[in-house]
Amino acid sequence: MKIFISGFGTVGQGFLETLLIKRPFLQKRYSEVVSVVGVMDSKSFDIDDKEVCGLCMLGNKISLGRCGHRDRNGLSGVEILDMVDYDLLVECTPTNVKDGGEGLKNITHALEKGKDVITVNKGPLALKFRELNDLAEKNGCNFRYEGSVGGAMPIINLCREGLVGQEIRSIRGIFNGTCNFILSRMDNGLPFEQALREAQQLGYAETDPTYDVMGIDSACKVTILANSIFGRDVTIKDVSITGISSVTDGAISLAADHGMVIRLIGEVSKDRLEVAPRLIPKGHPLSISGTLNAALITTDLAGPVTVSGRGAGRKETASAILSDLITIMDAKHHFKYMPSD
Amino acid sequence: MKNVITMKINADLYVKDVPGQLVSSLEPISSVDGNIVGVVHNREQSINGRIVVNVTFDVDPDQVDNLKKIWRSRDVIVAKLDSVVETFTMDYMLVGDLSASYIEELFGEASTEISFESIDIGYSSKTAKDTRTAMISVKVQKDDDLKKLDRFLSSACKKAGFVYIRGVRQ
Repeated sequence: MKIFISGFGTVGQGFLETLLIKRPFLQKRYSEVVSVVGVMDSKSFDIDDKEVCGLCMLGNKISLGRCGHRDRNGLSGVEILDMVDYDLLVECTPTNVKDGGEGLKNITHALEKGKDVITVNKGPLALKFRELNDLAEKNGCNFRYEGSVGGAMPIINLCREGLVGQEIRSIRGIFNGTCNFILSRMDNGLPFEQALREAQQLGYAETDPTYDVMGIDSACKVTILANSIFGRDVTIKDVSITGISSVTDGAISLAADHGMVIRLIGEVSKDRLEVAPRLIPKGHPLSISGTLNAALITTDLAGPVTVSGRGAGRKETASAILSDLITIMDAKHHFKYMPSD
Repeated sequence: MKNVITMKINADLYVKDVPGQLVSSLEPISSVDGNIVGVVHNREQSINGRIVVNVTFDVDPDQVDNLKKIWRSRDVIVAKLDSVVETFTMDYMLVGDLSASYIEELFGEASTEISFESIDIGYSSKTAKDTRTAMISVKVQKDDDLKKLDRFLSSACKKAGFVYIRGVRQ
């Protein structure tokens, strides 16, 4: 299995590192070498028909701020992808919800060429979910995106595989750890601006926190869940979005007086697509504090199923990509799980 | 087919503590097309040789008098017969430059389309930014009324420029 990693930020680096650590496990499971034959970031790239040096890439990124020793010199991602033979693209470029950015072009190109794709990039999924899935199906490619929602928290594969056969009636969840951190700090009496500054100082929030606090990041995830779990054909434009910037200290305090907290909740069902601050009773599975993500899945047979986990992070998101990779490789190798595995 | 509207009833029945009496007290409910939801009977607590059976059932309200007659004929003493009303609750929060009279008018208008069992309103004090928060807990009998109220409040808050926060169904 030859892998190309596009995007070498926190997640791309985390995945490469994870792949190096898990290489013996993968070799034992499939008797096949899993190698990375290409890596690119916004400035540079490196390719090798057999394998690039993973540790060199990680070292370069830290010491030089670039992954490869070859400059992109205006080369597009698609042009670089065409320079080497690969089986699977792992797409980790930054999310762009305006036009999908380079990530959308890379994914489309790889699927057109019959390559399997794993992505954690929410932009292409929030804008062109149906088109990309149709393209994958037409060309017989695997297309997976577990890490695009909830990071390490399993939700898409849980609904599709673990809860298979059940009717998923609704999913409500906390899909943005930054907003949850800010609202949790407001529970402790901090005003919104101060809680946001603290989130930025701790590295939870971006310098421009608009995507997070305006609810756009959560809306991308709601769109992905609506399409992938509920079979809907929607884009982010169909989601009703209210962020948390208008949540006042007075509202937080009055909610607390009534035994409740306010949390930014994404909700998907057959007739609702929404991201909005909601009143949650203390002790409810969605009343969690800090940067965690959580989801409450309501099903016809199992009733409510709750999952929680770290919504972002280097190794956390890499774990979701690894899970998708293993699913793809299991299918290719007709792997049957034994307890000793 | 006749579309029958049923009511939920909870009753305490005193029946003789002898074999067959429990069935004898429940059978009449089925005979008037009632649907038994739950039965609790306590054989340890006996009064004058009778034990109490607490039964909850759905029945056509027009059949209640008939049912009482059948119980009397079978020597079943009806000690309590209450209608049970199922309610749905939801909490809402409105944030903005709002007054108590505005909220009262708003819910007055909502009452023309929605039948409320109860409305409980609390307010925060005004802040320096002239914003105030109203916390409203409502109880309604029909689930559909919560959907109507959600649409009504969402639209009213959009018009007034207020922040609208609603709770989650349990």
